[in-house]
Amino acid sequence: MADFKPLHPLGNLDELVEKHSFFGPGSAAITIGVRKSVECAQLFAGNGNQAKIAKKLNFDSSTGKATETKGFTALPIAPGQWILISKNSAPGFADGVAKSINGLGYLSQQSDSRICLRVSGPKARELMSRGCRLDLHESHSGAGFCAQTVMAQIGVILHQLDDNPTYELYLYAGFARSFFHWLSHSAAQFGCDIEIISNQIKR
Amino acid sequence: MHRIDCPWCGTRDEAEFQYQGDATATRPAPDAAEADFFDYVYSRDNPKGWHIEWWHHVGGCRQWVKVVRNTMTHEIHATGGPQSKLSVPKPSGSRLR
Ligand SMILES: [Zn+2]
Repeated sequence: MADFKPLHPLGNLDELVEKHSFFGPGSAAITIGVRKSVECAQLFAGNGNQAKIAKKLNFDSSTGKATETKGFTALPIAPGQWILISKNSAPGFADGVAKSINGLGYLSQQSDSRICLRVSGPKARELMSRGCRLDLHESHSGAGFCAQTVMAQIGVILHQLDDNPTYELYLYAGFARSFFHWLSHSAAQFGCDIEIISNQIKR
Repeated sequence: MHRIDCPWCGTRDEAEFQYQGDATATRPAPDAAEADFFDYVYSRDNPKGWHIEWWHHVGGCRQWVKVVRNTMTHEIHATGGPQSKLSVPKPSGSRLR
């Protein structure tokens, strides 16, 4: 029996950190955090059930705004569609959601489909603004802002965690290396470090 | 560059959208003549001025957006969802006809 080990879509993360980090903790203008894994699920409302589901789960009904619940963050990506991100990377975190929306919609496991990169540091807003066409000015997008857009011709879901600002980017695992190549090169002009973010997320 | 008002996402840049053609072409009845289907699939006007067209918000919410756009000035008069009944502005209201 072959001994299979899970591999991050970006390959060996320790090598990645060694290759790309030059500044030391907290001193680079940009820090790209690579989350080791993401537990997430996609929630689809059945036809006409969008408002019912949003009400049942207490989701913020305004477009472009994440909802924080005890176990997960819900990111709206289209009418009646949310990505649910587990806060403590617990598998099965969405089981309760699946039960409560029974008959109103569909929930599908997406944990292996996406990676998450966290962009922070004094130049984070500038880097993100250059990378996509969203209005990321503080007067328009604050903590909790969330939008699906395109960076380097790759679809990403952008979620602003706080007003520093810190951003999290979710993208399909198959684009991980290509996207990281672009992101790390774009960040190099400001000075960039890479760090690994363990699965336990404190927010 | 256009900034297109997606009914769900709000105003977004043209780069997130794909142009999908004339939004006024309607499918003929199933028993219509072959020539009618040929027209429906292949024949398009090339209007100078106002045009009602589809833009697919492929880089955002993946919804189809109906847009009333002036092909000469690139001015966008109105946007809406697929069911929206949009019409072109009256000639006096536009800079070009
Ligand atoms: Zn949209």
